Amino acid sequence: MQISYKFQDRFDLAIFIPTVLLIVFGLLAIYSSTLNHPTASGNFQKQVIFVVCSVVAFLIIYSLPQQTFKMFAVATYGISLFFLVAVLVIGKTVYGAKSWFGIGGFGFQPSELAKLGTILMLSYWLTYKNRDINNLKDIGVALMIGFVPVMLIMLEPDMGTSIVFAIITISLIFWSGISLFGLFVVLTPAFVIFASILGTYALIAALLLVIAILFFFKRDLFTSITVFIINLSSGFVFDYLYRILKPHQQKRIESFLNPMADPLGSGYNALQAKVAIGSGGFWGKGFLHGNQTQLRFIPEQWTDFIYCVIGEEFGFLGSVLVITLFFIIFIRLMKLSSTAKDQFSVSVVIGVLTLLFAHFAINIGMNVGVTPVIGLPLPFLSYGGSSLLIDVVTIGIVLNIYKNRKMHT
Amino acid sequence: MNDTSFGEPFRRKILYVIIIGFFSVCVVQLFHMQILQQLSYSEKSNENSVKPIYQFAPRGIFYDRNHQVLVGNKPSFTLRLTPSLYDKKITPYLEAILGVTPGYIDRILKQNESYSKFIPRKIAKDVSFKVIAWYEENAAKLPGIDYIMETQRDYSFGVMGSHMFGYAKEIPPEILQHRKEEYDPGDEIGFSGIEKTYEDYIRGDKGIKYVLVDSKQKTIGRYKEGKEDQSTIKGDDLILTIDKDAQRVAEEAFKDKRGAVVAMDPATGEILAFLSAPQYNLDDFAKVTSQEVWKNLNTDPGIPLFNRASMSTFAPGSTFKMISAIAGLEEGIIDTNYTITCSGGFQFGDRYFKCLHVHGRMNVSTSIEHSCNTFYYNLVNKLGIDIWSKYAKKFGFGSKTKIDIPEEAGGIVPSTEYYNRVYGKNGWTKGFVISLGIGQGELNVTPLQLAQYAALFANFGKSAKPHFLKGYVDNQTNKYIAVKPQTYDIGISKKSFDIIRHAMYEVVNGAGTAVSIKSLELQIAGKTGTAQNPHGKEHAIFVGFAPYDNPKIAIAVLVENAGFGSVAAAPIARDVIKAYLQKGKKEEINKVAASMKKEEQIAN
Repeated sequence: MQISYKFQDRFDLAIFIPTVLLIVFGLLAIYSSTLNHPTASGNFQKQVIFVVCSVVAFLIIYSLPQQTFKMFAVATYGISLFFLVAVLVIGKTVYGAKSWFGIGGFGFQPSELAKLGTILMLSYWLTYKNRDINNLKDIGVALMIGFVPVMLIMLEPDMGTSIVFAIITISLIFWSGISLFGLFVVLTPAFVIFASILGTYALIAALLLVIAILFFFKRDLFTSITVFIINLSSGFVFDYLYRILKPHQQKRIESFLNPMADPLGSGYNALQAKVAIGSGGFWGKGFLHGNQTQLRFIPEQWTDFIYCVIGEEFGFLGSVLVITLFFIIFIRLMKLSSTAKDQFSVSVVIGVLTLLFAHFAINIGMNVGVTPVIGLPLPFLSYGGSSLLIDVVTIGIVLNIYKNRKMHT
Repeated sequence: MNDTSFGEPFRRKILYVIIIGFFSVCVVQLFHMQILQQLSYSEKSNENSVKPIYQFAPRGIFYDRNHQVLVGNKPSFTLRLTPSLYDKKITPYLEAILGVTPGYIDRILKQNESYSKFIPRKIAKDVSFKVIAWYEENAAKLPGIDYIMETQRDYSFGVMGSHMFGYAKEIPPEILQHRKEEYDPGDEIGFSGIEKTYEDYIRGDKGIKYVLVDSKQKTIGRYKEGKEDQSTIKGDDLILTIDKDAQRVAEEAFKDKRGAVVAMDPATGEILAFLSAPQYNLDDFAKVTSQEVWKNLNTDPGIPLFNRASMSTFAPGSTFKMISAIAGLEEGIIDTNYTITCSGGFQFGDRYFKCLHVHGRMNVSTSIEHSCNTFYYNLVNKLGIDIWSKYAKKFGFGSKTKIDIPEEAGGIVPSTEYYNRVYGKNGWTKGFVISLGIGQGELNVTPLQLAQYAALFANFGKSAKPHFLKGYVDNQTNKYIAVKPQTYDIGISKKSFDIIRHAMYEVVNGAGTAVSIKSLELQIAGKTGTAQNPHGKEHAIFVGFAPYDNPKIAIAVLVENAGFGSVAAAPIARDVIKAYLQKGKKEEINKVAASMKKEEQIAN
């Protein structure tokens, strides 16, 4: 089976097949949740068109020479930022967020392109000529690259996507070999913000902990004080951010803290999603036989709550199969990150892994009720052209990297 | 500055830990939800989408003793409001179309605000087709409003019977609290009269239809093709002891009078007619009773809601003389040869008790016939309070008859013990007792007790607990089940009864106080009475039974503020008796008339 071996050597079926299966699962779930729906019954056909477009994009990306990605990193990032600014001006408001361009009957979300742009740009900058990430200035620049799109997306506002960008940024900085202190500088503000959500005492405790750790690092006074001031101010950021959040977003946070308090209010989706998945049992209720899904107890189920269609109609078996397919992709990406040929490629693979994993974790977490309801699509499964296209393109990029891993320039 | 930087293997390890860790958390959580807690989630999922629609069971029909309908059912539309879906802006339009005063809807919502806001409230029953048409046209603009078909009480069968039938109403939250097992919000429950006593028989079993609804509560279809549905079972039909004709005659007679009629079968205790006048319209209670209706009923000077027949108490006047007479005969204090001379009254200490006439020589029979007071002042003085009291109680006075409706008063029969309690040991004199002999003073009885009293004379001291229920048709088996009357005997000699009964016969058929209603066919025996009324003109009373030889009906009639019993009360008693006793004859006459008509038609 030499041919077969050669094919596997150039094309990683362990990433490709799970991806295809996930897209098929997605189509089934979209079909089930939009069947007979008064307004969304055309979504299945649209998604099929998106899949076809994505396959074309995948083939193009896969066949590009590997240098292309590095060459176009800055350009992609620049175009992304341009679109992100433009969308704030001329974008279409959907669900209270200005995040869409309307092109004909279809829409396009520039934040999806920006995911790709940010991964490429960060990877480009972080791996540029053996850069040393461990000084405050370089950390600052890296953070800037990541947080400019974060800020622009927050203005739309789209909290979920902003969080994904933040995670990608932190993950890539971490991967670039940051020191413990550097990581401390990057991560503690987030930790302090989280503490401030829990209350004043938690905030004070967190700040005291930061001071204690600063003593442990024994850095110079200027650095220590700077770091402390960053932390102190982030303590008050949440309060500010909470106030600029839309009421429906505030409610989402509250309803995560106590979803049963208002079962028909904002906790409704979270509760109904759990009911759908839980009632699926081991075998599931059968394709097109889930009453939660068919009777539309979960609004817009084909987007962020697509996983509960799987949970309800395909049961524990289907649910575990889907997360296992993701798991296989993630593990393969980890493997690939150790065999890719240059630092840039490694960073891109980690970026793609982080992107997919962040979406996966936040989405599945919210569906099974272990994380707050943050509106994010599940890669490959959720209805939506932009995200499917970008997700498939990232797979195209990593398979391209896989194909070229043994070539030398 | 690369002192403590993470080496690549370490970074890799961290990422693996995160990925595998999260994967494990998800699998554990899925296992927990889908395997361990599947049942609980399934239940919730079904609660979501499977909605039970309750179908109210029609209440059992009331028939009279001859199987004629007294109270029936009719279909009606009930308009409902579900607060969780309701928009308060609709209220003015709704109130206008229903023709109710502003604030009506708010009031109803307030009355049952303790219920879940997802449960529909009935806001108007028996709404007209016009309202339903209006709703159908505007349904889209009326969130939270819907209507259901229900059955409602139909009182159009010729008798009102408001106090004995009583009414059923939507169960109020206070009562529901204690009966959550049996009732749901919106259910009807008997509030008074027979509707209350026999609630468990009449109410039937609610039906449940399961339907699938979507998240907007829109019905999508039936659940499991209706396999789990439970059909409605109508309540048990009641066969009442009432005679519709007698009841109708009584109601007719009291159209513009206040008072009460109670007629019963002396041997079985079956109530044949039961009326308290004025009555109220039970139809008003079959709807969601508006406050206006309540207010009118409660402020009406005729107090129509008050059940006079079993709750009003008064001194029964001369109708009570037979108690003293029986007591005297039974205790051997007097016999038929005993006489006194009435010279117009009775001197007791420094008080003079008057008689209405100067009757001359009186024995026990003539004293009843002519209603001589003097004879009874004397007699009760001889008997003493406690013997008199003992016999009054034997005839059922001073305690409830335990008739099968909840509204009943027991009345008062004074005794030594009673006077001591009320006035203190030395606070009363024997003079208090004298007027009891003619049924005046602190004696309090109800019309129902007087009917029972008449029945005991009719049937020689043997009777049965007065009751309305003759039997019922079991809704499960469709079998008629008869109710056995509880009979009793008060243990008084036939000899004494013979004397008194004959005197009562003479009251009507001799030269007594009620000769105006003398009738050879009916053979009524009875006694008139006049109850003193501190608030106005006296009440007229008549107690009696018929036919004298073989009594089939015993009756008590009270006409408020009507003066002497012979004038106002006795003719009503006669009419009711006639309606009951001559039923067979009338039917024969009707039959003959009908056949004659037929013959005529054929001849034509």
